[in-house]
Amino acid sequence: MKTTVLLSAARHPVSGREALARLEAQAIALATRLGGDIRGLHAGPESDALREALGVGLSKIDRIDAPNGSDPMEDLASHLRAAGPDLILAGRRGQGGLDSGLLPYRLAERLGLTLVADAIAIEAGSEAGTVRIDQALKKGDRRRVTVRLPVIVTVHPLAPPPAAFAYGAARRGMISTHPVNDPIRQEGQGSEWEERPYRNRPKLMRTASASSGDAAEKLFVDPDPKEAARLILDYLERNGIRQF
Amino acid sequence: MTAASLLPLLVLAMIVVAGVQIGRRALLWRSGSFADVDWVAGVKALPKRYLVDVHHVVDRDKSASRMHVPVAAGLVGSAGLLVLGLVPGIAGSRIYWAVVALAFAVMAAGVVLVARRRYPRAMPRLSLGRYQRTPVYLGLFAGGGLLCALLASFGDPLPFFSFLGLILAAAGGLALAAQAATGPMRHALAGAAHLALHPRPERFDERLPKGRATGLKPIDLDAAKLGREEPADFAWNRLLSFDACIQCGRCEAACPAFAAGQPLSPKHLIADLAAASGGGHASAYAGNPYPNERSVAREGGLHHAVIGTGGMVHPDTIWSCTTCRACVEECPMMIEHVDSIVDLRRYQTLEHGAVPGKGADILDNSRLTDEPNGHDVATRTDFAAGLDLKRLDDGARTDVLLWMGQAAFDMRGQRTLRALIKLLKEAKVDFAVLGEERDCGDLARRLGDEATFQRLARANIGALSKVGFQRILTADPHALHTLRNEYPAFGGDYEVVHHTAFLNDLVASGRLSPARLTGAAITYHDPCYLGRYNGEFDAPRALLDALGLERREMARSKRKSMCCGGGGGAPIADIPGDNRIPDLRMEQVRQTGAATVAVACPQCTAMLEGVTGDRAEVRDVAELLLDAVEAGRGEKAKTEARAREVETA
Ligand code: SF4
Ligand code: SF4
Repeated sequence: MKTTVLLSAARHPVSGREALARLEAQAIALATRLGGDIRGLHAGPESDALREALGVGLSKIDRIDAPNGSDPMEDLASHLRAAGPDLILAGRRGQGGLDSGLLPYRLAERLGLTLVADAIAIEAGSEAGTVRIDQALKKGDRRRVTVRLPVIVTVHPLAPPPAAFAYGAARRGMISTHPVNDPIRQEGQGSEWEERPYRNRPKLMRTASASSGDAAEKLFVDPDPKEAARLILDYLERNGIRQF
Repeated sequence: MTAASLLPLLVLAMIVVAGVQIGRRALLWRSGSFADVDWVAGVKALPKRYLVDVHHVVDRDKSASRMHVPVAAGLVGSAGLLVLGLVPGIAGSRIYWAVVALAFAVMAAGVVLVARRRYPRAMPRLSLGRYQRTPVYLGLFAGGGLLCALLASFGDPLPFFSFLGLILAAAGGLALAAQAATGPMRHALAGAAHLALHPRPERFDERLPKGRATGLKPIDLDAAKLGREEPADFAWNRLLSFDACIQCGRCEAACPAFAAGQPLSPKHLIADLAAASGGGHASAYAGNPYPNERSVAREGGLHHAVIGTGGMVHPDTIWSCTTCRACVEECPMMIEHVDSIVDLRRYQTLEHGAVPGKGADILDNSRLTDEPNGHDVATRTDFAAGLDLKRLDDGARTDVLLWMGQAAFDMRGQRTLRALIKLLKEAKVDFAVLGEERDCGDLARRLGDEATFQRLARANIGALSKVGFQRILTADPHALHTLRNEYPAFGGDYEVVHHTAFLNDLVASGRLSPARLTGAAITYHDPCYLGRYNGEFDAPRALLDALGLERREMARSKRKSMCCGGGGGAPIADIPGDNRIPDLRMEQVRQTGAATVAVACPQCTAMLEGVTGDRAEVRDVAELLLDAVEAGRGEKAKTEARAREVETA
């Protein structure tokens, strides 16, 4: 099994220093459990985050020498096409810099691969060429899916904790640098992103929807007030909140 | 031929047998890694180190010094005299035999004292097995020799008894010699060699401040292997030091982790390290087991990993240590347990990231934010809002640089720091803090992360070189020790004072005038890193006495003080035991009947305040002094007011 773990240019939330995103460290831990040939992949200038990744379980990292701020998608896609890993792991959300969190999806689209989101465990499937993935869903639900390789999987924070950093391993790991294929893109492009001050968004209330299973019986549109009162009392009694 | 004339030959035989045995051990020591040792200076210093330094420690347990002096002197004396007897003519003299008999008699008297420590029941800290049998061999040798030599001095009137004496002496003497490499007698030769070739010769130099011999030594971060994994990784004179252990158990009796039922006994650990290098021919350990012993394969070998379930020692053992140095302080063989424990931890952390408990988070934070708990170091002075704390910009100067340490991020520690800052203002001290103070790296270093420590040390030294100051003042003995004794290896030489010493000077010189406090008695808990590590015991006591409170000493105080459990990252590794170390210490506080325990370290404060139930109040010396100074100000204001009244009237 060949696994590639995608490494972003994350920053530490307190110090702002280049640091490995925790989700990616967890991805490395998942890949290590699965075994096989594991490599990290990063597109961008040299970063301390890569040493961090070597310290938590990777022994080899490929770095595409893309300029800072450029969109890494094409570089990653062409590298992955050539390397042909069976499993591509990424974090489930951006954690700094210009990360949008959409990269795994764009890659999946570009490479024509299946994407399974929010993995907390990955095992080899019973059939060769498949993996069994446990996904974390809302409210603690879990879903187990078996997919055929190759596949892109994003990792959920509830995946097992990452391995502890070991300086000796970070020192021994190898980073190989690859030039950018497309000479025009080496120039780097201006960012299309616009900076705006942070604004608190209003909290979303939880809403019941008629379509979601057992919620359907609890959704009554425009009931008669008497009927509504009875329903509420019923509900309270059924749930032991009000008792006679 | 008389029996006595065979005694010198017996001694020769013993020397040969012991020589072969110890030679086998010496081959093992040679497999250790390189150590820079000044042989000439070491050998020259040996008599002084033995007669002064070792005796100093041995003598703290009177029953030990009373037995050791006659046994060792008698054994060495009688053996030496007997070798002299090989010179033709001497053995014919009756006076010679009388002197030999005297030496044997001295030894025999010592053996009686040795036996009294072990029979009918051995002191609990002593090892049994071979160790329990040794007095028997010593007794046979001394008794038999005495009989034989005594009869010779009377002209050998009873040849049968002379031969009986010879046989007994031979049985005991050869048994002692045969176990010179694996048994208790190993400590004699290995111990002497260890004294001469000690890894820390500076500890024998009284002219140097104590801290110079207690700081951890840096390791080369570019070395092929970081830290120590197997016996062969240890420096050869460390392997030698393990062999010097006599299993007296003093370290074990002093060890707080052992007392709390955590799986650590420094004695057992040293015995294991000695056994590990020998691999096959290690003798079985007959001392107290590690409390709540974790099971391991107990397999050893020069190139076999020491730590791990497949090795000699469970990782929980090395992670239970608080690095309090109580064991080092007590060891009559001058063994440096803490160095080896940290070296073993370094391998676990640096090569495997195998730090237990919250260790990995603490080290991640130290590495990525320069602060063990992940705080933003730029917010370190937030607690002092309103106190008008001066921050030093690059190039600025101050007299005293206040090093705040981790306490600045802890609500309890902040109370102490605020008290200290108020006192400094009261005394009109010119002081300031660094604009950005990173963690000193103490915790990372004791958790084995030498790489992060060295980076932090260099960064701090860089920041300190940009500002001007006379000395560094800190309320944290861990920071004090690190800055004072461990930064010089990286080019940072500073005068660092602890707040207790600094405040004591301010009071003594009249710049602070505390009123005498009234109230219940007080006791003082010595922080390991101030006391044992830096030899500062008096200033905090003098300061407390200036407050006028009755000061009671705990049974374990000063050099023998018991750790609060907070050092060395032990609370972070959090290895479970039967008890918590601070609970044990608080019980010792209770026994004094003091209502307040004065502390001088934020770590001790946190640990002792974490004790639940009815307990003494925990106050930092600075807080107590501030109370007294504020009370004094009240009185002064009253007298002044009275004086004014008199004037106006
Ligand atoms: S290490 Fe030192 S104190 Fe501990 S048992 Fe051995 S000789 Fe005694
Ligand atoms: S330093 Fe303290 S805790 Fe560690 S082994 Fe020695 S006595 Fe025990």
